[in-house]
Amino acid sequence: MSGFAFDPCDKCEQMMQPYLDRYLTDVEIKEAEEHLDGCEYCRKRYRFEVEFRTFVRQAVAEPMPPELKAKLRALRTPL
Amino acid sequence: MSEASESSARQLATDARDRVRFEEEALDLSDQVYGVARRLVGSREEAEDLVQETYARAFRSWRSFQPGTNLRAWLFRILTNLNIDRGRKVQRTPDLQPLEESDYFLYNKLEESTTDGTPDERRVVDRLSQNDAVTALADLPHDFRDVVLLVDLADFTYSDAAQILDIPIGTVMSRLHRGRRMLKGTLAASATES
Repeated sequence: MSGFAFDPCDKCEQMMQPYLDRYLTDVEIKEAEEHLDGCEYCRKRYRFEVEFRTFVRQAVAEPMPPELKAKLRALRTPL
Repeated sequence: MSEASESSARQLATDARDRVRFEEEALDLSDQVYGVARRLVGSREEAEDLVQETYARAFRSWRSFQPGTNLRAWLFRILTNLNIDRGRKVQRTPDLQPLEESDYFLYNKLEESTTDGTPDERRVVDRLSQNDAVTALADLPHDFRDVVLLVDLADFTYSDAAQILDIPIGTVMSRLHRGRRMLKGTLAASATES
């Protein structure tokens, strides 16, 4: 099934973000997990949200230039 | 050496040791600081300047750091404040998907585009491009971007992010929600255009 014009699970959308961010009470977590157990659509979206975050993190990551590290070390207070 | 000067010498030595430890711990976090700084500003050069300013200020004001509290949050607070002080460039408000779209707009959109019968829908994110993600993040209004960067990139909790940015937790949550939704909206648009 694909392409819902309206979110078929409007209610749990509100819970998805704090659930993903581990910002729910134990009771709410239990509630969210019970819902996920019974709702394939939300389960797929949950998986997607997790993957999406990992994707964004990796996509925008840029290692620090090594010469900057040396410059920062030089800012330390001389002993 | 008199007793008084002996004790003040001891104090100086303790001080120096604390400072060295502080500086080393702060330097250990520099990769993370750079990672966020790089996405706060438009270029690598600006990011390098910003990180250097952050460390110069941190080392100068090390005494105002309370040992035992969160050094990472303390550093990021300096970083975000300096970035605000630098005067952010005036940003156009991006013309994004209407926010009434659900959070799952991107998901639905991507899933919709898999009509070729590809059975493996687990990796819908594979259809997103790295460049689009960088651009979409850069296009977020800065208030939203700050929160998204702190929580999604730097892994701060809502309450740490609230302290760093000096805003209520509720504001962190709503900006995060909105920011992520905008990000997904922009990415959905670019993913389906191509």
